[in-house]
Amino acid sequence: MEKMARVTTALGGNTLSGRTMFCHLDAPANAISVCRDAAQVVVAGRNIFKIYSIEEEQFVEKLNLRVGRKPSLNFSCADVVWHQMDENLLATAATNGVVVTWNLGKPSRNKQDQLFTEHKRTVNKVCFHPTEVYMLLSGSQDGYMKCFDLRKKDSVSTFSGQSESVRDVQFSIRDYFTFAATFENGNVQLWDIRRPDRYERMFTAHNGPVFCCDWHLEDRGWLATGGRDKMVKVWDMNTTRAKEIYCVQTIASVARVKWRPECKHHIATCSMMVDHNIYVWDVRRPFIPSAMFEEHKDVTTGIVWRHLHDPYFLLSGSKDSTLYQHIFKDASQPIDRANPEGLCYSLYGDLAFAAKESLISSDSNRKPYIGDRRHPIFFKRKLDPTEQFEYISSSSALSVFETDVESGSMDWFVHTAKQYALAGRPLAELCDHNAKVAKGLDRNQVAQTWTMLRIIYSSLGTVSSANLNHSMGKGSAALPLMNSFNLKDIPSGLGSESRLDRSKGESRTENILMDSSSTLINNEDNEETEGSDVPADYLLGDVEADEDDLYMMDHENPHAEEQEYSLPQEAFPLRHEIVDNPSALDHLQDKADSPHVSGNEAETVSLTPVESFSLISISHSLYENRLPSDFFSPIVRDTLLFYAEQGDVQTAVSVLIVLGERIRKEIDEQTQEHWYTSYIDLLQRFQLWNISNEVIKLSTCRAINCLNQASTTLHVNCSNCKRPMSNRGWICDRCRQCASMCAVCHHVVKGLFVWCQGCSHGGHLQHIMKWLETSSHCPAGCGHLCEYT
Amino acid sequence: MFVARSIAADHRDLIHDVSFDFHGRRMATCSSDQSVKVWDKSENGDWHCTASWKTHSGSVWRVTWAHPEFGQVLVSCSFDRTAAVWEEIVGESNDKLRGQSHWVKRTTLVDSRTSVTDVKFAPKHMGLMLATCSADGVVRIYEAPDVMNLSQWSLQHEISCKLSCSCISWNPSSSRAHSPMIAVGSDDNSPNILAKVQIYEYNENTRKYAKAEALMTVTDPVHDIAFAPNLGRSFHILAVATKDVRIFTLKPLRKELTSSGGLTKFEIHIVAQFDNHNSQVWRVSWNITGTVLASSGDDGCVRLWKANYMDNWKCTGILKGNGSPVNGSSQQGIFNASLGSANTSLQNSLNGSSASRYFFPPLDSPRAGSRWSSHAQLLPPPPLIEQSCDADTANLQYPHPRRRCVSRPLNLLPENEGV
Repeated sequence: MEKMARVTTALGGNTLSGRTMFCHLDAPANAISVCRDAAQVVVAGRNIFKIYSIEEEQFVEKLNLRVGRKPSLNFSCADVVWHQMDENLLATAATNGVVVTWNLGKPSRNKQDQLFTEHKRTVNKVCFHPTEVYMLLSGSQDGYMKCFDLRKKDSVSTFSGQSESVRDVQFSIRDYFTFAATFENGNVQLWDIRRPDRYERMFTAHNGPVFCCDWHLEDRGWLATGGRDKMVKVWDMNTTRAKEIYCVQTIASVARVKWRPECKHHIATCSMMVDHNIYVWDVRRPFIPSAMFEEHKDVTTGIVWRHLHDPYFLLSGSKDSTLYQHIFKDASQPIDRANPEGLCYSLYGDLAFAAKESLISSDSNRKPYIGDRRHPIFFKRKLDPTEQFEYISSSSALSVFETDVESGSMDWFVHTAKQYALAGRPLAELCDHNAKVAKGLDRNQVAQTWTMLRIIYSSLGTVSSANLNHSMGKGSAALPLMNSFNLKDIPSGLGSESRLDRSKGESRTENILMDSSSTLINNEDNEETEGSDVPADYLLGDVEADEDDLYMMDHENPHAEEQEYSLPQEAFPLRHEIVDNPSALDHLQDKADSPHVSGNEAETVSLTPVESFSLISISHSLYENRLPSDFFSPIVRDTLLFYAEQGDVQTAVSVLIVLGERIRKEIDEQTQEHWYTSYIDLLQRFQLWNISNEVIKLSTCRAINCLNQASTTLHVNCSNCKRPMSNRGWICDRCRQCASMCAVCHHVVKGLFVWCQGCSHGGHLQHIMKWLETSSHCPAGCGHLCEYT
Repeated sequence: MFVARSIAADHRDLIHDVSFDFHGRRMATCSSDQSVKVWDKSENGDWHCTASWKTHSGSVWRVTWAHPEFGQVLVSCSFDRTAAVWEEIVGESNDKLRGQSHWVKRTTLVDSRTSVTDVKFAPKHMGLMLATCSADGVVRIYEAPDVMNLSQWSLQHEISCKLSCSCISWNPSSSRAHSPMIAVGSDDNSPNILAKVQIYEYNENTRKYAKAEALMTVTDPVHDIAFAPNLGRSFHILAVATKDVRIFTLKPLRKELTSSGGLTKFEIHIVAQFDNHNSQVWRVSWNITGTVLASSGDDGCVRLWKANYMDNWKCTGILKGNGSPVNGSSQQGIFNASLGSANTSLQNSLNGSSASRYFFPPLDSPRAGSRWSSHAQLLPPPPLIEQSCDADTANLQYPHPRRRCVSRPLNLLPENEGV
């Protein structure tokens, strides 16, 4: 044992070195203890009792203390402790109740020294006095603690806890005469070694057994206890009543606690079931372990800091038959992986954001120790340089960023949903109405889509341009910037304005021609783009002439222009009208506001394939003066798809419903269903139940239609005999009378039924309301003065 | 434009998650202090804590609301290796009178052997179902067969992901064309080049979840992942919080084309990638229409991302919790200068109450008034006008070229994941 020559009490110059390493034991370990020179470790268990030396790279077995032929229960160790004064002295607690001491200095192979067979049951713990060489303390399952003088054959004194089994005994490091004992009933007792008759003090520390305790290495008043209730508690014993100053909640019952050397607030724990990890906690931050060692595959049974003054090396033994040396820098740090921020988008566009205060505090000069307000005591002590894990702010700031109506808010959705008309009127009116709604909410693109749909699908003659102009005029009034165009358009008046609007939808087509295939662009177009306002004016003038024909197909115009424009698609009158003029206007707009161009481009890009397709496919209808609306179906379909892809399923579904059969065939059932379910889900999120029901009702999808037929049950009681109506229909079997008759019209009420709570007469809501306008008495003639409010 | 309303959360440790309920009226927070708090929005918009209770014996990583059809139900997951389902008790009690509600634990899911890092309810159309993922790389899917009985959950699937999982996200699509799908992110930080985002899809034939895709380009630890709400889209959008913010689109290729097993193949594009946080990104969250993405990072800022009509994703807002401008080296001065006027005018309009606690980026100011009107007629309304954004980037680029507001203009095409 030459190594023991260089024993130092403090670490001094020779710091420990090593790496995370382990060795296989032959059997599960129950306890480990380290020699005070930090160079050797003893491992004890039911079937193992060995000493290993801790080398730089590995553990080396030094000595097997289980000698002799016949296996003795004396070797079956529940606990082991190495004397911190005398490196030759060891004590073990055997499961049969024997306390054994071992003298490594013995020349013989058998190092067994003394044998105390005083306890009747398993000895759970043995403990040497920190400064007295010959004083040994044991705590047993039988409820007694015994103090041995190693120079004598028998125990010096016996302490009876008067409680249940003793789980742990620990001499106080500073108080010479004091030791603490923990019990299975949750109590902790403090004893004076000189007074075996009764304990000095006792307090209940945990619910259920207290498995372990550990005195703080520096602060004499602090005692840490760990129990089956998964808690580690730190008690201040200086005061007259033991005061709980910290409480760490772990995830499994606590088997061992060990204060970390040199780090005042750190404590290592391991569990006796379920959890195999070793945690090192900062007791000031009791919720997240500051370090975690995850190497063991089974329950960790023994932990010990390798050296009294070195906080970076931890040794552990486990039921998985391994002995580990853990290095702090290899520990995993749950705090680092813990997410310091929470973020959630609300339905209405609000953002909830919670973040670690140190992250969002802009002022870096500010002390980051915000949490310290609660622990003013820590300001007194400078942060220990060896504390690897600084005690940093551990509180979060929570705030909700609320949108105003302008930007991200979803108000538009709610308003649109509420105001849209989806059925019950002619298509043109629906479209107009919805366009107006969209316009009112500054959703111009959607408004244009509705207008366009109206143009495409409603029979052309029936639409009065005045009607259209009205809505458009309104729209432009709401949009001051339009004035720039309007000024130019003054001569052309409303006609051109509406044209401009109408062009919106179709401008894509035309732009494609402009942008994607230069060959299609004719001269005049180029002239327009390069020229001044003059050609535009000319075109506008042209429009003006057609004003009356706006929504009629113009026979002459296309032909007239056909000579100039040699494009194949020009043959279609409608297309022409729409295509042409907008190009001019568009051009004007380009000058006014460049982003528009890119916007148009974007749209054309997204629609290019379809458009070109339609251009080709329509050629058969060249000389028809009116296009069948089917012709536009692909375009409309793609419009809807476009909206859906943009996240505006509302428009897609609304159009789908309004157009009904006209477009239904174009879009496959599954997609439709998807849109419907998405939209209904959205409506329900906004608690727009009536609208969602309306959508369900109006939908043409079978899967959607049956949504509100599920699990709706109607129970009807007869209003005369008050009994449930058993059969269907409105005549009660029992009293043979019609149930729920209207007091006014004497018909059965099948819809909204309103009744007076005083006389229980009632009827159709409308009828009763009408009745009560003129009379205050019950319509049934019962004489009751009814009040319907 | 946002106004920050600061809430005294009074959690005793870090808050790890915030979650709004289906209707946006309630909010749940969870913290390392092992508790969950529920906040209800009052008429005047204030948030009141109506319940706070200890849920676990470890840090609570996540909390999520179930669809209200199943009741007022929360699920939380924790470092203590469990996930727990909570239900609010309805009925008159003293608690009610004090404005407090009472939550009871309906079940504890104890299958994990390690920290449960995320838990999410499946989309409603799948029934009452939830998925958990744990640090040992196992995704577990539970189902409550009887929606009325929240205390009975059966473990339906166990997917082993090989990598330590940190986050999951269900594909919210309600389309029958899209089979149930889960994206799993891993925060494994060992220096390997394994894909940190994996996508699992339910296979009708085998009745099992199988790996459909792995996003090979994501090799850094992933902290959050979120599918955008799918409102009728044919494709899926996935946001990933790793060392930067990334947005992927997953376009299902038609079933007929895919070969065996019935697994959908996807055409994956990375449509955006932003390192503006300059650091670890912790959270991503989509707005309800899946058009705006919010991300938060180690810089303590929330950034909003929105696609314009070109499908170019751009920054449309920067929010900071405490009213100060975005801190960051030399940039601050510029920010203040460009912000000055707008800031003060706004402060005035806000009557000061909470006005000191907001921040908005310069690009808001030109936009706020003229956004719609400036392209009144012929154009789609997407609010990102090149013009204003360029102006802004000019501002930003000058001191700090990396803080660009505009992403690479055409990153639509590359990075087709190895199909």
